[in-house]
Amino acid sequence: MKNDKLIKKAQNELKEAYDFDHRDPLFGLTKEEISGERLSRRTTLRLMAAGGALTLANILPGLRPTAAIAGGHGGGELKCAWSGVGEIVTLDPAKINQVLQFQIASNVLSGLMHIDNSLVAQGDLAESWTVSSDGLSYTIKLREGVTFHNGDNFNADDVLFTFNRSKDPEQSIHSRVIANVNELQKLNDYEVKFTLKKPQASFLTKALERASGRAMTIVSRGALESMGEAQYGLTPVGTGPYKVIEHKQGGSVILERFAEYYDPGRPKLDKITITPVDGAEPLAAALEAGDVQYVGGNPIPSQLIDRFKSNPDLRVDIKPGPGFQSIWLNPWRDYMRVENFDKPLEELKKEKGFQVRLAIAKALDRDLFIEQAKFGNGYPAHGSINPAMGFYFDENLANTSEQAYDPEGARELLAQAGYPGGKGFPKIKLQTTPNTKRDGLVVANILKQVLGINVIVDPKDFSVGIEEFDTMDYDLRLGGSGGDYDPDDGLVDWMQTTSKFNGRKRDKSKYPFGFYSEAESDAAADAQSLVADPQERRELVRKANRITSDKVTCGFLYHPVDVLVHHKSIQVPDEARIPGLHELDRISLT
Amino acid sequence: MPHLSAKNDEHSSANYSLMSRIYDAIRTNLKAKVGLIILTIFLLVAIFASLLAPYDPNEMSLDMMSEPSFQHLLGTDDLGRDLLSRIIWGTQVSLFVGFITVAISMIVGVFLGVWAGYYGGWIDMIIMRYIDLQWAFPNFIIAVYLVAVFGTGLLNIIIAISLAFLDDFARVARSMVLTIKEQPYIEAARVQGTSDFRIMFKHILPNSVGPIIVQASVSISYAILGEASLSFLGLGVSANTPTWGLILADGRSFISQAWWLGVFPGLAIMLIVLSINFIGDAVRDAFDIRHTEI
Amino acid sequence: MFGYITRRILGALLVMIAVSTLVFFMLRLVPGDPIAAMLADAGSDEAREALTKKFGFDQPVIIQYFKWIWNLLQGDLGASLYGSNQKVTSILAEALPRTLSLACLSFFIAIAIALPAGIISAVKKNTTADHTVSIFAFLGLSMPDFWLAILLIIVFAANLQWLPAIGYAPLSSGFWEWLRHLILPSIAIGTGFSAIIARMLRSSLLGELKSDYMRTAAAKGLSDTSMVVVHALPNAMLPVITVLGIAIALLFSGAVVVENVFSIKGLGRVLIQGILNRDYPVVQGAVLLISAFFVFANLIVDLLYAVIDPRVRYD
Repeated sequence: MKNDKLIKKAQNELKEAYDFDHRDPLFGLTKEEISGERLSRRTTLRLMAAGGALTLANILPGLRPTAAIAGGHGGGELKCAWSGVGEIVTLDPAKINQVLQFQIASNVLSGLMHIDNSLVAQGDLAESWTVSSDGLSYTIKLREGVTFHNGDNFNADDVLFTFNRSKDPEQSIHSRVIANVNELQKLNDYEVKFTLKKPQASFLTKALERASGRAMTIVSRGALESMGEAQYGLTPVGTGPYKVIEHKQGGSVILERFAEYYDPGRPKLDKITITPVDGAEPLAAALEAGDVQYVGGNPIPSQLIDRFKSNPDLRVDIKPGPGFQSIWLNPWRDYMRVENFDKPLEELKKEKGFQVRLAIAKALDRDLFIEQAKFGNGYPAHGSINPAMGFYFDENLANTSEQAYDPEGARELLAQAGYPGGKGFPKIKLQTTPNTKRDGLVVANILKQVLGINVIVDPKDFSVGIEEFDTMDYDLRLGGSGGDYDPDDGLVDWMQTTSKFNGRKRDKSKYPFGFYSEAESDAAADAQSLVADPQERRELVRKANRITSDKVTCGFLYHPVDVLVHHKSIQVPDEARIPGLHELDRISLT
Repeated sequence: MPHLSAKNDEHSSANYSLMSRIYDAIRTNLKAKVGLIILTIFLLVAIFASLLAPYDPNEMSLDMMSEPSFQHLLGTDDLGRDLLSRIIWGTQVSLFVGFITVAISMIVGVFLGVWAGYYGGWIDMIIMRYIDLQWAFPNFIIAVYLVAVFGTGLLNIIIAISLAFLDDFARVARSMVLTIKEQPYIEAARVQGTSDFRIMFKHILPNSVGPIIVQASVSISYAILGEASLSFLGLGVSANTPTWGLILADGRSFISQAWWLGVFPGLAIMLIVLSINFIGDAVRDAFDIRHTEI
Repeated sequence: MFGYITRRILGALLVMIAVSTLVFFMLRLVPGDPIAAMLADAGSDEAREALTKKFGFDQPVIIQYFKWIWNLLQGDLGASLYGSNQKVTSILAEALPRTLSLACLSFFIAIAIALPAGIISAVKKNTTADHTVSIFAFLGLSMPDFWLAILLIIVFAANLQWLPAIGYAPLSSGFWEWLRHLILPSIAIGTGFSAIIARMLRSSLLGELKSDYMRTAAAKGLSDTSMVVVHALPNAMLPVITVLGIAIALLFSGAVVVENVFSIKGLGRVLIQGILNRDYPVVQGAVLLISAFFVFANLIVDLLYAVIDPRVRYD
């Protein structure tokens, strides 16, 4: 099988990428390998691995033989729907807080670096760069002759201006991304030097990357001054392949080919209209009527996927999505109270609070959930490590985890806890967002059927819900993560005592920890981010994943899928299929 | 209505004529008869929901979005729940909210209106300033403001809608009081030393019942529509209780695959509002009031 | 008359101030953290603090209130807490034409349905035509506007695919573009209103047709149609003007719901979304504008009525 070979090759690449020593400031690479105009694939992979941004899924698309673009030619107009959103609130990199926003902004503004689909980091506005042997300073030579959409020339002052704007928390919400930069110096008009506080593997591929970084996505001084911040958020001026020619709040974003873009081979299309489309029915209607030919933005509603697949005019491409969704269980509620997870599992299983938690997790009929709530699109979850992380994903966990679906066992546990058949169990609330209400209803129904307990679904607006989650003021909450490409994203962000979502604003005198705290898995999660050898790292990742699954950090529910839908007349070459992004400058019409 | 005592000879005739006027109005009006029949059916459905509904309204199955059939007369929804059973249970919420909110705003509004109209002075001024404030907005907008502030849930919805309709009743009651309180028999009662409270609620109120009933008949249909609209906007009773507005809102994402989700719940709302409008129209004719306020 | 107008305008301003004050304090009483919603997952604690300070949420509510009033007097309604912090005035300025377009078109559709319906049912009183109009009027009154909107989407957008199911196009993108986005929502809003107008028109036309001058006209041998259109209709329209205030209320309430069905970012959607996001400045601005809209619309209707009907005194 050709695919097997590819996967094997990818796994080798992944292994080799992780094969370095973290204590080495240059991650086993020579100074020359990191410097240059274009990083080699091996170097990029290694930098991404070191920065915690690499997965098998990242590697695979680039290995597929690139289809010859038959008949793809320049020009033409593309109409896109941006799904699941009523308006594009902002395109200003300093304010962007939604993926669907930077999917657009990345086509309008440039960064210093940008990764292509083979995960080769290309210089975007950086023409070449050199790194000092201690890994602390990056000298970057900037591309000359680049102009902004408003005609201004791009030079080192723009880099400086962007840096100063981004590091100010009042002006930018991404100041944290460049917190490790000690100083940025302008050497001359086309040369700058970053000095870091400590070596940072991800610096080139994360902090300077245009799409995910957002902190060093170059903004136009002139335009910000002349139009003001609010207008700039609607119609930002950058040096990217497309310029925004029209965007009113709540309306479509209209992009036009920027004739003076530095790469004459791009963009291919003359004009792109991006219309926010809220709601499943309008999205289907627009796509089926041919009003739009390409869908970006939030995930496509699952009830539409089969319908689109059966439409001969449409192309549907499905991949495992990088994320997980769970039922979070508040351990400070009396009926499921666990004050200390640092005990052997057998001992924990004797505590009534833990019995209830485990009963709920065990009762989650994930297959039924996926079929009913997601119309069959999704993968059962038993841990925070998702199948898009291929190499690290643990398929066995579905069978071995304590929380694997087992209705009999669940009922037994609940009976042991003193609630046989759910009798006497309090009415509890399952908090969702308005968008996940339907999922919540399915979960409530499953818990009712299996355990006989009454769960009331309580959809709350994000602003209210996140506040309650942060202050540990909820019973159950349906939620989770997206954009988890590296084990760090799943473990460090969610599963540790110090994780950023773990009861961030709780009353610490009342609650010593948020939803979970366990020393052994904490240690494993810490260790895995420092270990160089991929096999060894995988063992640690799986260990942390297994413990957090067995001891019920939460009831894991499902991993989403990543779906791209477009009309058959649109050529989306492999090089434009970067997970989570839309490289509109590489798309063309047949 | 409070203190509508039939023992009081002076008013029992007024009382009788009131009831008989409504009765006659409905008896002689075909639309009103039809309306009464529809409303009675809905009332029975609401009362006997548990007996009539073929399924548990929240019971899910993998038989999702199946067309109307003998098994599911109105089809199933996107989670495999029986639509007919959900609509039947939804009748309870709709009628309960419709009638209870109007009852509350009628009692409170009439009390405020009579109080203000009878005493005048600063009490009148304070009450009327508040009423004017509310009068500047459509009732539905007020309900939206209030739900936004108080939050959703059955109790909050009832409070919001009741408050939103308060001003209508207060105005009607006050203007009636202002006319009646100058009548000689009120003056006579006052001279005899009858207490203010007694005068207000035993002498004045029974004589202003007509316009208040007309107002109530208008308000009920708007209260039902208001509850449905709030539920539809996601500001409704609860995500777990089937209400007509909510069924419609949830079905919106599936209507091209399952038209029945978009049609039947709306039909139920329309029928019940229609029946009340039919009856209300006849009642209005009976009292000969050209009512145009909303 | 001058005194009356001045008094009414002062009263209107008072109502607006009272409403905005109420909303200002009530919003802050309820749970929900605007900063959390704003930062989503992106925020560090420093960013949170910086923003809390920037928007002044660390200050006592009463100080925030006076600041808001002070800025209001200078024509500044503040900025949205979201995204690029659009000025509330510009958000409202963009939403207003959408709602007005919708309201105007709904109004025209309502009149276009109501005029012929009202005239026919009055002239052909107690015929099948009259009864048909009456039944349709009742149906129109009883049909929830959002349900009608859904039915229209099922038929004309999802199945026939004649008209868009969603969105708004400004006039600058062409008259037809603008119109075709508004047709379905306007019908959804206008239908209920047309029923009210048709019923009013019928009863006032019936009154006019009985009057002496109509008998004279009939005696002169004028045809039925010209009698009605030339003589009776203008007089019959007078009482209809009294429902203009209701029209505004009805069209606007309708717009709040229907804008949400069609994802049109008019004032109603701005208000509902602002409420859901706890975007305080936007909600305050929207409430102020909407209040002004109603208060002055009522005022104009009252004055208009006073001009038309000389029996109304201004004291």
